[in-house]
Amino acid sequence: MKIGLVSPYAWDVPGGVQAHIRDLASHYIMQGHQVSVLAPATDESAIVENFVISAGRPVAIPYNGAVARVLFGPVASSRVRQWIAGGDFDVLHLHEPAIPSLSLLACSIAEGPLVGTFHAAAPRQKATFAIAPFLEPVIEKLRARIAVSDIARETLRIHLDTDAVVIPNGISATFYETAEPNPAWKKDFTIGFIGRFSEPRKGFDVLLEALARIAQAIPNSRLLVAGPGEVVEAIEGVDPPLRSRITFLGRVDDDAKASLLKSINVYVAPNTGGESFGIILAEAMASGVPIVASDIPAFKQLLEDGKYGLLFENENTSDLAEKIIHLLQDEALAKSYSEAGVEYAKRFDWSQVGEEVMNVYLHARAEDEKVTLLSEARPWSRLFTRGNKE
Amino acid sequence: MMEFPILLIPTVILLIIWYLTASATRLDRLHQRVETSWANLDAILQRRASLALQLTHLPGSDPAANLLLTSAAHQARAADISERSEAESALTGALLLLRQEQWLVEKYPEVFAELDHLTERLKIGISLHVEGVSAARARRSKAIYRIFRLAGRAPLPVKYAFEDDSLAEVQR
Repeated sequence: MKIGLVSPYAWDVPGGVQAHIRDLASHYIMQGHQVSVLAPATDESAIVENFVISAGRPVAIPYNGAVARVLFGPVASSRVRQWIAGGDFDVLHLHEPAIPSLSLLACSIAEGPLVGTFHAAAPRQKATFAIAPFLEPVIEKLRARIAVSDIARETLRIHLDTDAVVIPNGISATFYETAEPNPAWKKDFTIGFIGRFSEPRKGFDVLLEALARIAQAIPNSRLLVAGPGEVVEAIEGVDPPLRSRITFLGRVDDDAKASLLKSINVYVAPNTGGESFGIILAEAMASGVPIVASDIPAFKQLLEDGKYGLLFENENTSDLAEKIIHLLQDEALAKSYSEAGVEYAKRFDWSQVGEEVMNVYLHARAEDEKVTLLSEARPWSRLFTRGNKE
Repeated sequence: MMEFPILLIPTVILLIIWYLTASATRLDRLHQRVETSWANLDAILQRRASLALQLTHLPGSDPAANLLLTSAAHQARAADISERSEAESALTGALLLLRQEQWLVEKYPEVFAELDHLTERLKIGISLHVEGVSAARARRSKAIYRIFRLAGRAPLPVKYAFEDDSLAEVQR
């Protein structure tokens, strides 16, 4: 099958959606499908994957509590057009087609077997309601919509009045299960945190505040932090004696991330909101580390109301401290979460998720149907575009 | 002062024509989506019915269950569109009964793996079809589509009744 994937965000800037597209593409290539990915890129030479094609330099806009690098405009539009015309795709899979970037562009230009995946979960936003009438006719062209979680599905229902099939994000379960711990990191009572700790919605401050209590109860407890951000700024408000307990590793690659998860005693996700799935929790479960997470809707759903990890009241530092201490001191409880998590995480493995997405592709497509450009499908517009076709 | 309404009238007419054409295109696309999803759903249902008939020929299976399955499969194949979902639900029930026979499943793992695969695809197929049909029907019920007969001669998509909230089920 010839599959075209479109990323709305810059390929060379790490992010959940990009990682999802990369892994999905690699999975299908391994299975023998032909895959091409179109994505914005701030630096084209930074793209290492041979299946990724750059659509040009993105612009930075604030979105959902973070900075999103998106791409639109006439130049991008003609790139998309070229890519679709030359791709001969059986199915076009557009990621996050409701935000103003490449996916939305591709959705408005193309016709045929189009599938869209909605990653984001956002509360009711007036801005989205305002542009909904313009989005609707475009989004409507998608033959099938996928939401990565119930919360993402609900967001879609509220904002665009359309339903979706829920298929979770994928992980490489065995990669995390079989990773080796790093002896330098593996010490007793180590708490782990991964993510951009400078972003308020990641809740790192909540964890820092809880750390003082944890240190009182467990004198040799430590905190390992992986992810990009301003270290000096982050620990400004922290008592100097506590600072020695915190180690910042900076941005880590997938191998280091996997061995970090294998080296720690508990993984903490104190996110205060804006999360729609929580892929890091699935990865933590696969590696067998017990989890303490805030009770935001996405985590509550993923951990099945605390069946696969301890939930603490969002932004409540004393509750967080209590739950972490409880898990660090109760070995039997930690072990039961660890075993249940490894088993449950298999559900998110690409072998499973990839097949579900493939089933959606198969249903979105009539026999022998191809993705075409809108102008090809409309006989009268052929009159106007004949001149500038390749 | 006289020129203002003279220019306005053709502009408004053009805008109305553009709006109606765009609306008709949108509805046409929805119809196409329903046709595609029905064709795919139908193909999977046909495959399931023939697999069900294949199951009745497995040596060692219960004759009473076989009879039930055979008649359910034939009914599903013969049903017209209005009776289809009822007949398919009956087949689902008969297949579920057979699926519970653990020794049979262990004896013929390949056939039952195929059945499970078809069941997975069926769930997605049904939810996509149901969604498409409701979208098309909702659009056609709007006043502007009825007044200007934007649906043309396209038949009203038939609701596929069974498994109402099948979308929620797909997750598991």
